[in-house]
Amino acid sequence: MAMLRRRIVAAALAAAALVAGAAPALAETTLEKIARTGTMVVGTRTGSPPFGFIDRQNQWGGFSIDLARLVHASVEKKVGKRIGFELKESTPATRIPLLTSGAVDLIAGTMTITRARRESLDFSIVFFVTGAQFLVKKGSPIRGVDSIAGKRIGAQQGSTNEKFLRERYPKAQLVVFPDQPSAFTALVQGKVDAYTNDGVQLAGLKAKAPNPNEWDVVGDFYTYEPYGMAMRKNESDFRNLVDFTLMEAIESGEYQKLYDKWFGPQGEVPYPLSETARIFLQMQVIPR
Amino acid sequence: MLTGWRRLAYQFDWSVLWTPPYGLWLLQGILTTLELAALGWLLAAGLGAILGACRTAPARLLRAVAAVYVEFFRNVPLLVWMFFWYFGVPQALPAAARDWLNRHGGEFTAAVVALGVYHGARLAEVVRAGLQSVPPTQLEAAVSTGLSTFQAYRLVLVPIAIRLIIPPVTNESLNLLKNSSLALTISVAETTFMTRQIESYTARGFEAITAGTLVYLVLCLGISGVMARVERGVGIRGLIGRDPAVVER
Repeated sequence: MAMLRRRIVAAALAAAALVAGAAPALAETTLEKIARTGTMVVGTRTGSPPFGFIDRQNQWGGFSIDLARLVHASVEKKVGKRIGFELKESTPATRIPLLTSGAVDLIAGTMTITRARRESLDFSIVFFVTGAQFLVKKGSPIRGVDSIAGKRIGAQQGSTNEKFLRERYPKAQLVVFPDQPSAFTALVQGKVDAYTNDGVQLAGLKAKAPNPNEWDVVGDFYTYEPYGMAMRKNESDFRNLVDFTLMEAIESGEYQKLYDKWFGPQGEVPYPLSETARIFLQMQVIPR
Repeated sequence: MLTGWRRLAYQFDWSVLWTPPYGLWLLQGILTTLELAALGWLLAAGLGAILGACRTAPARLLRAVAAVYVEFFRNVPLLVWMFFWYFGVPQALPAAARDWLNRHGGEFTAAVVALGVYHGARLAEVVRAGLQSVPPTQLEAAVSTGLSTFQAYRLVLVPIAIRLIIPPVTNESLNLLKNSSLALTISVAETTFMTRQIESYTARGFEAITAGTLVYLVLCLGISGVMARVERGVGIRGLIGRDPAVVER
């Protein structure tokens, strides 16, 4: 019996050592980790056109991914050697643990910067501005946030607009899905009366739907959704690198070029950059 | 060796687990998990008992039907069944029935059915194994006393078999409880769903997931404990477990 107990203790210690052994990797800075492993891992979306999505040719790409590639180029310059660029799927529910556990080095998808999130993560400057709206079947009685009482509203788990509706519009019946494709399927099948998300994502879903004319994006923005790239907390070196890369892209016109590629009239999701958003982006660019 | 923990770039804040409304959410999640698992288990146990018995029945047709059911339902991943019952089946219903279901939130029902039919197939195999491990002489002896086949099953074979299969049924029940977490993919707000929701509201992932882990652990240990007592209470000496008279010679 004592023998058995000793063996159990030994096994438990071995397991603890394994867990602990994985942790020291987090003690090094992100840049050190990237230099050591030779790869920069970016968490992004697979079903959020045009920020991060898999297209009909099975290619993984998007606006956020292109911006992350610019960051990747800066990282290569900084560490002075060639670095691999790897994408990993991250959903609103998994992205924070992926980042804090060290599985990914940067989140570049559709993540809204919030004060609560800034408590445990660091964010880049804002790289895109949008707000929540509703996607409905053409002719739906839902015209905006004031006409959703008693209706079944699909939302994505972990999104800021889900939180907003739960707190401010308790009369709406929230139906929460872990990912965008199942929420959209529920809308198509009439299981929910509307699907709410950031306006630009709804425009993306509409553009990608088999029959875009069947759908309407309705309502004024009822939330403010500034997208940023997320990083592990308290690493100003890495954050500066990411921020300066984005600033240089906005300054040099590279940002506009990528914007037009994805949101221009010929892009995946036509969504013109508003004048306010353009000025806001430019004012984030601080002097050299 | 353990210093890695100290260097982990993360500060734990366990208070999120009882700060309103997060604590309440977790409790609601646990209740939904229990409800979902209990209803799913009832369906699975019913299906498992009937189909398991059919698999050992003398009638060939019954055996074939039960075998087809088992092989079909246990060989498709549970996640697929969740989507099938939620997104697939309602599409085949008449429009009126579909609308009614949409209005009344078919998520929970779909999850119960998915869990029930999947684990029913797995339990059927457990039941079959139990029935087949009863020596065939028992059936012959029972019939020779004048019982019909059905009576022999009901009064002799099944009572013995049920006692024999307590350990694998416990196993299967624990699996069912844990698998109920897949219902989050079709919008059922059970424990895992709630831990993810707490995480997304507070950005406190490790705390929320640890809480979820402990919830499942405690629930499962509770079930194991109860089943172990049941096993000791109803077990037939010599058929299951150690017979002290035999082992401690």
